[in-house]
Amino acid sequence: MSVEEISDGIFEIDQDDRKSLATRNLMPGISVYGERLVEVDDEEYRLWDPKRSKLGAMALKNFEIPITYDSTVLYLGAASGTTVSHVSDILRDGLVYAVEFSPRTMRDLIQLCDQRPNIIPILADANKPHSYAHVVEKADVIFQDVAQPNQAEIAAINSKYFLEEHGHLMLSIKSRSIDTTASPKKIFKDEVRKLESGFDVEFEVLQRKELGPFHEDHLGLVARMFVDDE
Amino acid sequence: MRTSGGSELATKFSSWFGSFTLDKEGEVTNSKLFEKDPEILAQRVLELQESGQDAPAIIPDLRQLALDCGFVDLDEDYDILLRDVCIRAAKSRISGTDTDDVRIVHAVEALDDIDKNVNELSERLLEWYGMYFPELELTGEPLARFVMAFGSRANVPEDHQLFDKASKSMGSEISFADEELLRAFASNLCGLYDTRRQIESYIVTGMGSLAPNLTDIAGGLLGARLISIAGSLEKLAAFPSSTVQVIGANRALFKHLRSNTPSPKHGIIFNNVIIKNAPWWQRGKLARAFAAKISLAARTDFYSGEKDPSIKEQLEKKLTAIRKANPNPPKKKSKPKGKGRKKRGGKR
Repeated sequence: MSVEEISDGIFEIDQDDRKSLATRNLMPGISVYGERLVEVDDEEYRLWDPKRSKLGAMALKNFEIPITYDSTVLYLGAASGTTVSHVSDILRDGLVYAVEFSPRTMRDLIQLCDQRPNIIPILADANKPHSYAHVVEKADVIFQDVAQPNQAEIAAINSKYFLEEHGHLMLSIKSRSIDTTASPKKIFKDEVRKLESGFDVEFEVLQRKELGPFHEDHLGLVARMFVDDE
Repeated sequence: MRTSGGSELATKFSSWFGSFTLDKEGEVTNSKLFEKDPEILAQRVLELQESGQDAPAIIPDLRQLALDCGFVDLDEDYDILLRDVCIRAAKSRISGTDTDDVRIVHAVEALDDIDKNVNELSERLLEWYGMYFPELELTGEPLARFVMAFGSRANVPEDHQLFDKASKSMGSEISFADEELLRAFASNLCGLYDTRRQIESYIVTGMGSLAPNLTDIAGGLLGARLISIAGSLEKLAAFPSSTVQVIGANRALFKHLRSNTPSPKHGIIFNNVIIKNAPWWQRGKLARAFAAKISLAARTDFYSGEKDPSIKEQLEKKLTAIRKANPNPPKKKSKPKGKGRKKRGGKR
């Protein structure tokens, strides 16, 4: 059994020629959502199913993940915290602000926050960043996974408020929540164009790739906020 | 990056730990810190979230600000306190979302779940018990009550009306183990029927106080179903009445939007006697009037909460007028209706 760190805090464990993605467990002994725990060289890892996590799929698709050990991350669309728990593992010296709108899923997320010291839960609408501007500080990375038709716009306004200069935006675009009938390819193209020039903050898209076969009709995207030197 | 208009005016900004006045450069000129008590701070966070203050163009670095003005001494203290405050705030908002209409929605959904399961289980009981007493012509709840009471048909007393059938039955003999099992099964089923009745009366009484007008117009169960599908009373009140009219007819509605099939005349509001018992040529018109008053009732319930008997009166008046104006079925048009429909459906 061998372990290779493919990005800060993200590992690939090789078990009998079967590779699986994992993060080092911040809270040893505790499995968050039923994932398997594996011990290698006295370190406990939590296996990470890319089918249940856009970020996990992006890591497996050779994206360069801009999250480091000490990043501050703003996570929009945290849901029940499946992916957030892995982000929390990665951020040994960092902090993640987890924004989720639905009280029902927030219930699960809070139980996770009670266990882990580096997650700050915020029950708010990602469409209205000013409703949490009094809590959230500037972030190095914004990760967004919301199923809303105006995904690009949400990313832009949140970046404007909260993203550090030269900070990174990680985005998972779900074509089906924008238009169920149009072709995903066309939707992705439009969304990328919007990000590049459609709003008063602009982005330089560094990497983009579809997330199949883990997530159908999803585009993963990493971009850097373009800073205008006046 | 500049503030718009380049105004000289200072902006006010409240963070979770204090409120500040900023000059146009984003420098702090005045500050007032809140009390350092997690419970109070959590309340502040919620108030600020509700108030929706306009954030200034340049948001100050909150962490640095908290350190500078001495609210916290260390980076870690900031994290620990903020986390505590945010968890408290989120928890209190979650418990605040538990309103009366959420309870009703859960009850309606529980009712539907029970119906589904009761159907399956009573079918099973019918098949299973039929082996031992095929002549028994009971189904549903009476069957479950019978099996629970007697078990084997040998236990039916002489003065019971089914005694004759029971003694001459061609069913096979039931073993003791099977009898016990079937009785337990039937008694569980009876328990479900009882729970169903409890939930139903809970919904009807709950709706009476939550939405008196809606209950008056549509009845407790139908009103509760409408709230359940809409998601909440607030959402139902926000729906246009044309939507209320076809709630629950999703398939027919989208088929209509996609191809040129006729639009649905009614969704779940069909379950009210006003429409169910009406002749076919009046149903569309009645459904339209009925849905309009349902909307009105839901809005009155959500925004004023007081009972307004005039809605019901107006509805009755309108319904009578429609019935009077359309006493006879319309003459069929030159193209027979059924045929035309089929043709249009085939075009898809």
